[in-house]
Amino acid sequence: MATNMANTRIQRELAEVARASDSEKGIVSLEALDGRLDHLLGVIMGPPGSPYDGGTFKLDIHIPVEYPFKPPIIKFATKVWHPNVSSASGAICLDILKTNWAAAMTLRTVMISIQALLGSPVADDPQDAIVAGQFKSQRSLFDQTARYWAHIHAGAPTSVAVMDQKVAQMVQMGFRESDVQDNLSWNGWDVEKALEKLAPG
Amino acid sequence: METRKLFWASNVSKNRHRSQSHWTRSTVSALRVPVFPTLSSIQIDSGNSSTELRMDSEDDMAYEDEYDNQEDDGDDSNPFPPNQSLNKARADENDHIDVDEDDLDDSQNTADASSLACPRICTPDSGDYDVLSTEQVCQYMNDFVKDISNILQLPATTTRLLLSHFNWDKECLMERFYEDEEKLFKDARVIRPTAGDRQGSSSKSECNICYQTLKGSEFKGADCGHRFCSVCWRSYLTSKIMDENVTDKIECPAHNCRILVDDGLVMEMVGTQAAVRRKYQHGITNSFVISHRIMRWCPGVDCLFAIRLRISPDWVCVTCSQCQLVCCFLCGDQWHDPATCLVLKRWKKKCADDSETSNWISANTKECPTCHATIEKDGGCNHVVCKNSACKSEFCWICLGPWQPHGSSWFKCNRYTEDDAKAARDNQEKSRYALQRYLFYFNRYMNHQQSLRLETKLNNSIRIKMEELQQHNMSWIEVQFLKKAVDVLQQCRQTLMFTYVFAFYLQKNNQQDIFEDNQHDLELATETLSGFLERDITGQNVAEIKTKVQDKAAYCELRRNALVKHVHEGYEKDWWEFSL
Repeated sequence: MATNMANTRIQRELAEVARASDSEKGIVSLEALDGRLDHLLGVIMGPPGSPYDGGTFKLDIHIPVEYPFKPPIIKFATKVWHPNVSSASGAICLDILKTNWAAAMTLRTVMISIQALLGSPVADDPQDAIVAGQFKSQRSLFDQTARYWAHIHAGAPTSVAVMDQKVAQMVQMGFRESDVQDNLSWNGWDVEKALEKLAPG
Repeated sequence: METRKLFWASNVSKNRHRSQSHWTRSTVSALRVPVFPTLSSIQIDSGNSSTELRMDSEDDMAYEDEYDNQEDDGDDSNPFPPNQSLNKARADENDHIDVDEDDLDDSQNTADASSLACPRICTPDSGDYDVLSTEQVCQYMNDFVKDISNILQLPATTTRLLLSHFNWDKECLMERFYEDEEKLFKDARVIRPTAGDRQGSSSKSECNICYQTLKGSEFKGADCGHRFCSVCWRSYLTSKIMDENVTDKIECPAHNCRILVDDGLVMEMVGTQAAVRRKYQHGITNSFVISHRIMRWCPGVDCLFAIRLRISPDWVCVTCSQCQLVCCFLCGDQWHDPATCLVLKRWKKKCADDSETSNWISANTKECPTCHATIEKDGGCNHVVCKNSACKSEFCWICLGPWQPHGSSWFKCNRYTEDDAKAARDNQEKSRYALQRYLFYFNRYMNHQQSLRLETKLNNSIRIKMEELQQHNMSWIEVQFLKKAVDVLQQCRQTLMFTYVFAFYLQKNNQQDIFEDNQHDLELATETLSGFLERDITGQNVAEIKTKVQDKAAYCELRRNALVKHVHEGYEKDWWEFSL
């Protein structure tokens, strides 16, 4: 359970996000889950001009007891295809969430930073090696996959036709749609390789 | 500013070491034994800052009292108030100090004149170094800071941060201070203190961490201007010090502000929490010892003393007066003459890693020409069938060619095809040679190490023997030759042990031949001496053995000195070439 200081502060931070009409900046909302102040849900928009444009991304935020002297523990609750976010767990690699956290930062500034990270990936400091590798060597495939994931997981309006087709083709073979999507993405949309992973032997 | 500059310049031009001359050489003996904190284990990673101080809870109390007492006397601006009794001891000896100073300067000049590559063996009473308790280290650090803060006309807390930034190299700090003061402060992440007060404004405002609206007087902050309430400061500093083990360089908690928080503020905030304050003070003292180039913690297990060198920190042998450990000041390892620190480090790494395992593999095995499985031949004919079930290829162990044509008359395995064979055999030969060479030196190194260990046992049995002999009409002085001989024996063993490390990396030349001859002589003499001492000494044969042992011990010492001297001469004259 968070301490008194953390509680007061979280309440103020929630109010701050609610008051500031940040929608133009892409911060949609921040709210407490189950009325508890140590587990919050943040929502951000994909930055315009990026493959994530139009998507709504949920952030799972845990407040440690020592907050604000320790950084909040944040991961994506929505699946994201991004070099600095684990495609499996949603864990985020961002300096201010680790060593560069400063007590005077707020959840709002952190959410803005995460949104900025979506817009400008840092492939040299990757969280997900597969995604980062693709980002570096096959940029257009990366953009497509990221847009596809934003469409299927974050509700972004535009999908990618080629990928839809490949997924549909494999779903017809009897595999689960989510497994197909993941495995195709992890194998660079190579149907054969994905099949091998899904049905080895 | 101008006068200050001149003062400093004259100081430097006289003698670079002059500025260190305020050290009181005789203070150590005059001090009362302080109640020092028991750092139950100081884990020292030489030269690295990953040192952890852990403290014993019981003894902490004693330490705390010590600090509490000091606090009453000291002024608030100094977080490490000087111990009054230490000051007194120092003041009483002021006269002696002046005399010592000149001696010291002279000896340093001569030390600098000789070459640096040559090791220097310092005994505890040589005055080349002294051994300080944790408290004396604190005291020395305070004096050091005070000195510089007087010269630079800066508060002590600011000076400590600046010195810490330069790893306590005061010459470097002063040089930079007079060169470009602004840049210096910026690089060190310190704001030049101004007269302005550190309190917040009088009106009410909101703390940026806890979001509480509080009176202006509640707000505190470093010189960067960021203000937070005392409660938040306390929590922030406690979390940094206790949970993250950061003591030396704590940054301001504001976003993107990298300015360092000074000791004054830290003490003001956490000074009342004994555990936090203690850990902070320990951290600062520890970083002082680790980063100051003339200081080092004694590497002895559970030894809490620090060694402070008065000569320039080169390859120096020091003995801790507390735990009697003889060590190399430069690397903190046991004294390893004639091998240098670098050579020893490489050797230890080589012994620890498995580069030799791979050498063994390439020297004693071959690869299957088809599947590249590693195969060791342990008998049988040269028609080899690979046991890898997926491969099962048949080949000739000699030429590694397929076995099939070996049966037919046109094929000749015995015909030498220059190119292929040469490449393969050369490679194998090389690994085999490297392995053999390494094992040669390693065996001898380990042998002497083992003997050294066994001779610690001998040391005990000799002591018993000496007592026995004293009951058989021999006086105390008459049996001392045995102890002396064992000491010589152990010294010779240790030297021999490291000669093999030295020799392993040494490249061949004429001087190396001489070195090996010396090594051979010493080894022979040492083994003979060891043999004498292992023999059963009784009241009857002691007179005869005594002369033998004494002669041999004297000879060993002579040979050891000759060997060491020759190696040192080589270091000076650059004879030795190492293949590292």
